[in-house]
Amino acid sequence: MIAGKMGAKTMTKLLTACILALAAVTISGGAAMAKSPDIIRVGVLQEPKSLNLWLASDAWSKRVLNMIFQPLYIREPKSQKLVPWLAAEEPEYDGYKIAYTVKLRPAKWSDGTEFTSADVIFTGNMIKKLKMPRFNSKWKFVKKMVAIDKHTVQFVLKKPKAIFLTRTLTTPIVQKKQWEKILASVKGEKKPLKKFLRYKLKNPVGTGPFMLANWKKGVFVYLKKNPNFFSLNKTIDGMALGPHIKGIIFKVFGTADAAVLALRKGDIDFYWNGIQAGYLKSIKGDPKIKIYTNKKSALYFMGFNLRKAPFNDVNLRRAIATLISKDFIIKRILQGYGDVLHSLIPPGNQFYYNPNVPRYGYGKPVADRVKMAYAILTEAGYTWKVPPVTADGKVVKGKGIMLPGGKPMAEFTILTPPADYDPHRAMSGQMIQEWLRAVGIPALSRPMAFGALIQKVKGQRDFDCFILGYGKLSLDPGYLRAFFHSKMDKPRGWNMSGYRNFDFDHLANSSNDAMDPVIRQEMIHKLQVMLMRDVPYIPLYNPLVVEGVRTDRFSGWVPTVGGIGNIWSFCQIKPAK
Amino acid sequence: MKIFVLKRLAQVVVILFLILTILFVLFRLAPGDPVSRLVDPNLTAEEAQHLISQLGLDEPIWTQYVIYLKNFVTGEFGYSFHYGEPVATVIWEKLPNTVLLFTTAVILAALVGIAWGKIAAWRRGKFADAGLTIVALVTHTLFLPWLALLLVWIFAYHLDWFPITGMVSDEVWLDPDAGFFTKAADVLYHMALPLTTLFVIHFGSYLLVMRSAMLDTLKEDYILLARAKGLTERAIRNKHAAPNAWLPVVTSVGLSLAFSINGGALTETVFSWPGIGRELVFAVSHNDYPLAQASFLLIATVVLISNVVVDVLYAYLDPRIRY
Repeated sequence: MIAGKMGAKTMTKLLTACILALAAVTISGGAAMAKSPDIIRVGVLQEPKSLNLWLASDAWSKRVLNMIFQPLYIREPKSQKLVPWLAAEEPEYDGYKIAYTVKLRPAKWSDGTEFTSADVIFTGNMIKKLKMPRFNSKWKFVKKMVAIDKHTVQFVLKKPKAIFLTRTLTTPIVQKKQWEKILASVKGEKKPLKKFLRYKLKNPVGTGPFMLANWKKGVFVYLKKNPNFFSLNKTIDGMALGPHIKGIIFKVFGTADAAVLALRKGDIDFYWNGIQAGYLKSIKGDPKIKIYTNKKSALYFMGFNLRKAPFNDVNLRRAIATLISKDFIIKRILQGYGDVLHSLIPPGNQFYYNPNVPRYGYGKPVADRVKMAYAILTEAGYTWKVPPVTADGKVVKGKGIMLPGGKPMAEFTILTPPADYDPHRAMSGQMIQEWLRAVGIPALSRPMAFGALIQKVKGQRDFDCFILGYGKLSLDPGYLRAFFHSKMDKPRGWNMSGYRNFDFDHLANSSNDAMDPVIRQEMIHKLQVMLMRDVPYIPLYNPLVVEGVRTDRFSGWVPTVGGIGNIWSFCQIKPAK
Repeated sequence: MKIFVLKRLAQVVVILFLILTILFVLFRLAPGDPVSRLVDPNLTAEEAQHLISQLGLDEPIWTQYVIYLKNFVTGEFGYSFHYGEPVATVIWEKLPNTVLLFTTAVILAALVGIAWGKIAAWRRGKFADAGLTIVALVTHTLFLPWLALLLVWIFAYHLDWFPITGMVSDEVWLDPDAGFFTKAADVLYHMALPLTTLFVIHFGSYLLVMRSAMLDTLKEDYILLARAKGLTERAIRNKHAAPNAWLPVVTSVGLSLAFSINGGALTETVFSWPGIGRELVFAVSHNDYPLAQASFLLIATVVLISNVVVDVLYAYLDPRIRY
């Protein structure tokens, strides 16, 4: 209507005014862009979902919250051994009482109050009382906690548990003063956990190197240096800690494209997410950007539904394992940025990794692997209309595979996440489909929305095969028990394949209770052999984490398993001279 | 007229109830639940079940539906599973950002599109008409993310005239001395590229609608009469032809303004604009039922009410229309 009354000249004036206004804003905006030299800008793809750490346990939230809330022990970056953090020294074990005594370091909360045994005991009791998801399984075997003095806590266990050191003592500790009010507010509620997780924490009090200063929702989170950080300008495990910077600004980007451009332009100093191989060619030529490549504690695998035929036949699973070219997946799909996995514990976990497990044709040429798979299946009673290996040993395209009873093998699906969620897994599914079809096994790769895939595999348990992965596995190998113990074969349980092996269960239980690391290591090695003999999962690959930082802004990054984005780095980086 | 408005409002209420029900059913039919996405080996089956029970997701579907309707009537939209915050808070944090960007874009695109559409129709068959029509067709059919990335690549990365993405600069918003105008200028600075993208994509449709409506109007007898009366070309175009061509344009702009609260997931994602469009996609993909339901409901409500407003405007704009 307004435009209707306007003439062409008026519109031209309006547009000119708009363009001039934009130009003025550009100049004024550009002028305001002076950066503080000692505040690092970190690009992330999501902001924390909440500052309530009991709700926000996803990887993006942890990037921020791990700078605020601290555990008693953390892993040292080189050897990955646990070192005292809020604790002052190694825990003392009393085998008679089944009790650990932990001495605490003199430390203060970010509000200036003292960190004491009461905070540790409160955190443990709160987790147990609310049966806090993800944490309760690490604390439920703690019978009681006793404050020996203001800075010494004794943990009495119901029975020996290996994960006490690696999982329980690495739980973030929260301030009693702040959280007891929150806990009191849910007392008497019908659903206390629901209300507790919904508590909106505006000013988290922590003991970490940084504390919250500002959060502009959807745009950035600013953490400033905590002047009360217990290790400020001190040395821990031979490392001189700061922080030597004033703060960290986590900037939220909608896409990896934008974040990588921002890194190249200098809008951010570090992109805290793996950079995909496609971007690396252009970044590598930039002298102001340094690329760090580190191992990940990750596991990407193909799983079978052992509850149904034909996947309940170990021979078929072994034959499929033989047909998969893991080298191809690394070279072509991951473009070289990954390691082949042979066991269900990644090689980065040096202490527990067992390299001596069956490798099913690894390293052999395609024709040899087809012959090996053919031999396994033929011996097990499988037949073909057109066998993939002819009488004179020539490899051809196989057709019409039949089960040992003579019934044709029905087409089955390999569920994968969609390519927009994870192109590596989707493409691996496609390739495995082709390798299996080449010998007449009727596989069909089917990408499916991630939530639906998990629901089908974990909830309904209605599937044939799937490709999934864990991007950040704990270095404690306790997950083997969680993934394959018979007791975990239930809806929403982690034994997604339905693997049932009494010997495995027994050894896994023993490994969980073994307090001697060497004995436990031996047990974990045996478990890996058992699993690779029975092949409920075929381990495929472990991607490398490739990260980029600006060299003209900060130096002193600390590489470790999982990359340079870790608390050691943020405590040690300094502005570049 | 009053009876017509009341009738239309009653229809809105019925349709809203249907939408409420459809939304509830659709989200429950979708595979997965908020807990199934938590692929964390630390979360045991018992803990997952405990969490589901605490979130009320194990209640019978009818109980959940009744609670949902009751909450809606009382204006309580529940809590986001993901953020653990009231849905209304999450929406109100993001909605103004979306409205600011998209409503500005619709208004600018409509003003320019209508004015140029009028010119194109008036100069039918001449160079201006051909040029404007081709430009409108080309820009309207551009793929938005491609255009957005191209603008970012040229104007933000290479020329460094604008920021790559985002809505504000941390330097400005963390500066205690920065006043209102500095912050407003900072937002405008960040808005430049997404606004230009949306403007380029949308102005063509208004131009084409206006051109088409004007061409129909120019064939009318009253335009011939105006010429016979000796009125100037400008007066005929602006006072006799254009006002009679507004009807279809009003519908188009009215609905675009209504839909602008929905934002655009693509634009908001490419430009990292913290709006409701990105939030909506995130809520759907993460089975955050309360947030997704409330967002869709808000959009449906605004669109339905806008339809009523547009209908009423028709009668105002065209005295021949009576209800």
